[in-house]
Amino acid sequence: MRDISDAADLMTTAREALLRDLLPALSGERRYAALMIANGMAIAAREHRLGTDASRNEAARLRNLLALFPRDAAESSGDPPTGDVPALRKVICAAIRAGRFDAHESAVGNALAHTAADWVAISNPKALRT
Amino acid sequence: MTKDDTLGDTVQTPATTALARWLARATRAQDVRVARYERLPGGAIQDNFLLDVDIRGGPWHGEHAFVLRTDAPTGVAASLSRAQEFAVLRVAHAAGVTAPKPLFLCRDTAVLGREFFIMKRLPGVAQGHRLTREPALVPDGAALARELGANLARIHAIRPPWSDAIKRAAHAFTDTPSAAGDGEIDAIAPPPTHPALATIVEYRSWLDKLDDAYPALEWGLRWCERHAPATFDIALIHRDYRTGNYLVDEGRLAGVLDWEFAGWGDPREDIGWLTARCWRFSGVEREAGGIAPIEPLLQGYESAGGVAVSRTDLDYWQVMAHLRWAIIALQQAQRHMGGGERSLELALTGRIVHELEYEVLQLITRSGA
Repeated sequence: MRDISDAADLMTTAREALLRDLLPALSGERRYAALMIANGMAIAAREHRLGTDASRNEAARLRNLLALFPRDAAESSGDPPTGDVPALRKVICAAIRAGRFDAHESAVGNALAHTAADWVAISNPKALRT
Repeated sequence: MTKDDTLGDTVQTPATTALARWLARATRAQDVRVARYERLPGGAIQDNFLLDVDIRGGPWHGEHAFVLRTDAPTGVAASLSRAQEFAVLRVAHAAGVTAPKPLFLCRDTAVLGREFFIMKRLPGVAQGHRLTREPALVPDGAALARELGANLARIHAIRPPWSDAIKRAAHAFTDTPSAAGDGEIDAIAPPPTHPALATIVEYRSWLDKLDDAYPALEWGLRWCERHAPATFDIALIHRDYRTGNYLVDEGRLAGVLDWEFAGWGDPREDIGWLTARCWRFSGVEREAGGIAPIEPLLQGYESAGGVAVSRTDLDYWQVMAHLRWAIIALQQAQRHMGGGERSLELALTGRIVHELEYEVLQLITRSGA
């Protein structure tokens, strides 16, 4: 137990206040706007709790995929820095488009599905299916 | 606002004054009064306005309920100009497609600052979350799905080149003083050599314009490339035929809206879009747009002359549908992140990409790769 609210708790508490104290007074377009704000706050709170792990796991999965095939020196020189998810995504995307992962369907499918599920758990956990 | 002796309220702003003057010329009327002119909600890409007018004199004499459609300040890739959309809608309406009747096109940007067209206003409810949740609005989902299928088949019966019969029918709409001619219809993108592969090329070009890379979307496109159907058809397709874009009145299909993405393609693309999980709103278990199971939709479609659609086709084009919506959602998110149009709605649209990626991967796995 901590003494002071962290970002996730502040966001969650602010959202609860919005829904409890303001929403009942709103209708029509304003009610819709308040629900959108509440949704944005809920996503931000979940990302604060889960986002670091999601990024770290995504980076690890993408690096594992890159390790699936031997690479020549020219490619290795373009290796993204460890943990740089946007750079890793770019390298993986280029390899997918070039067909280099075609022989690794289940490995790629599984890795990407786990990553997608991690991010759905942040953006809209209701959409997850077991 | 000024009060007229004989009519109700008249709206007078610089826009409605210019509009009334233009409409009087278009309808060969002595005078046109604008009684209501209000922006309709929900147009991320196009601006739609409710327009009530009282036309005095000429062939249009009387009160009319119209919708005026024009471009929103920022557009999205691959949407038609208003003139092109007007022309396509005219052809579709003439071919018996249930859609709002297009009436007048204005290409003169001096009138409202942007091109616009006017169509007849239809009754009904379009909101997807309501249609998929309120049984009173859709008492017989199977019947509505059959209508949606049959109506889609009528769109897909329009094949390149335009048949003479359709051209004649389109020209019968001589109401409009500045009708879009065949030139504009021909100016829409020509039929693709291979619709699925052309679609993949297009989506990749859209992805390449974004700042970040998306492995799941790239993987989905590669899967679509490797599993591209060997045989296909080419027809006029709507490309946004889904729950939320058609009006339902008293449980019946009243009209299909939003023709800005129409063009030549494989008709199965429209079926995939209509049945994709991302467009089922509150009815995720009802494959036909959250309204009904798939069977009545396909029955209606095939009995009205639609092409054969297999389970493999459905899976394939549902993958493509999620890819398309994901990339469009990213484009909308970029409008926000790029700073040109800060908006919570656009920001949240970007966040649905994760669900769409998740669905693409689920579908690929289910289809046995």
